[in-house]
Amino acid sequence: MFLTISRTFKEALKNFTRNGWLSIATVSILTMSLFVVSVFFVVTLAVDDVLQNVQERVNISIYFKPDVTIEKINSVKADLEKFNEVRMVSYVSKEQALEDFKKNNANETVILQSLEEIGDNPLLASLAVKANSADQYQLIAEYISKSDFNSDVSRMNYGKNKDIIDKLNGIIAMIRKIGIGLGLLFTIISLLVTFNAIRITIYTHKNEVEIMRLVGASNSFIRLPFVFEGVIYGILSSVLSMIFLFIAIKAINIYIPSVTLVSNLMNIYSGNFWSLLGGQILLGSLLGIIGSLIAMRKYLKV
Amino acid sequence: MVVAKKNIETKERPQKTQKPTIKFEGVCKIYKGNFPALEDINLTICEGEFVSVVGHSGSGKSTLLKLIYAEELPTGGEVYFNESLLNQISKRNLPFHRRNIGTIFQDFKLLPKKNVFENVAYALEVAGILDEEINENVPQILDIVGLGDKIHKYPHQLSGGEQQRVVIARALVHAPTLIIADEPTGNLDPKSSLEIVDLLMKINDLGTTVILASHDKDIVDKVNRRVLVLNNGKVVADQIKGKYKSV
Repeated sequence: MFLTISRTFKEALKNFTRNGWLSIATVSILTMSLFVVSVFFVVTLAVDDVLQNVQERVNISIYFKPDVTIEKINSVKADLEKFNEVRMVSYVSKEQALEDFKKNNANETVILQSLEEIGDNPLLASLAVKANSADQYQLIAEYISKSDFNSDVSRMNYGKNKDIIDKLNGIIAMIRKIGIGLGLLFTIISLLVTFNAIRITIYTHKNEVEIMRLVGASNSFIRLPFVFEGVIYGILSSVLSMIFLFIAIKAINIYIPSVTLVSNLMNIYSGNFWSLLGGQILLGSLLGIIGSLIAMRKYLKV
Repeated sequence: MVVAKKNIETKERPQKTQKPTIKFEGVCKIYKGNFPALEDINLTICEGEFVSVVGHSGSGKSTLLKLIYAEELPTGGEVYFNESLLNQISKRNLPFHRRNIGTIFQDFKLLPKKNVFENVAYALEVAGILDEEINENVPQILDIVGLGDKIHKYPHQLSGGEQQRVVIARALVHAPTLIIADEPTGNLDPKSSLEIVDLLMKINDLGTTVILASHDKDIVDKVNRRVLVLNNGKVVADQIKGKYKSV
């Protein structure tokens, strides 16, 4: 048994090296397929990342009238925190709001000057409410406007953010749909091409299979080298595809400013390195194995 | 001309032993949607015999041989090899059956991507023979067929006669009880052909049964042993010490 496996594996290595061009062609096609599949995988992850980032930044701010005490605000905060839909409520004091405002407008000297002229702090204390998911903001906003502390509220900025939230949700859903659709299409096409390439590789061994049978080789002894060859194709192509992916991401990263919603693509790559590589090796080997087994059926008369 | 008889095998002939290697009983073979390739074949080939099978193309020579190495199964009748019935040989046992037989063909059937050594060694590898034994036996057998110095050449670097010697070495290396040669000289010049036949006769002298299919008169006459004449799928002559006969 061990002898058979070691022999057929050596056989596979020899086949691979002695069929130079055919091996190169097959590995190139398989590499391209895996590359396409993994690109779509990374894009999907990046889109997910954007979605999370957007949700992270969206919130409802409730601005309280200037005469509302901090105790009253805290009780409202405690009240809101009871809801399942609410993930986090944070208090922003008047002073804090002023700090933030100054920071955000550090370059706008006109605004800062006019602020100084007022002398007093014109900003309001507020509560920033974050929901667990984007579609829950509507509910939260409705609750606040109907609650008994509504009279203390100066204004809510939900209305202003609502459009942005809805739009972003729409865009993300669309990107996902298109991405998954295109990804599936390209994946299927490239898998079919690869599958065929491997079958052709096996067909070139047609006469050899006949000879092997005549000499008294068992079907498994004939088949195993081709199976191993499929695995070799898979591993080699996966490694190549990962290298190309690395280069591609490196190149793309230059054009993506670091402040955008998309977090560093390289982080996605390195964070998912092993699952990407493992998945590709699995997919590549499986393609190689299934392709060769189907092609072999014809000549083994099984 | 000797006319075909039902019990040809009972005829007296010089045999080294009486043990039948091959026995055909009422065998016929019809390929799908075709006329019969073989009809009612009854014959026995004993251990140590050298049998030349002659006949035109399409006379059924190759089919007869294919039934022996079980590439084809008979449509009717029974084929025995070493007293076991080949009719229902299982896919599992087929490789083991083939390891008892060395086959030699007109088109050589060498593995093009393997060198001489590897081609011969392959027949042993498939049988699970250990490497030490392979490394010992293969060069020996290649010396015997006169290719000791071409061990690392690839088939395309060899002449036809040399390629056929590799095939013979491969057929011999696992010490089979039977060698089947289907037109082994069909692609060779007369000189190489005679060398190949000499080699086959030497192998037979050492005790291996040989079945040689050929339509080359010179070859068959040189062998000068039992001759089986096939015509239209029937045995029309079976001579103990025969010359080539055209029918």
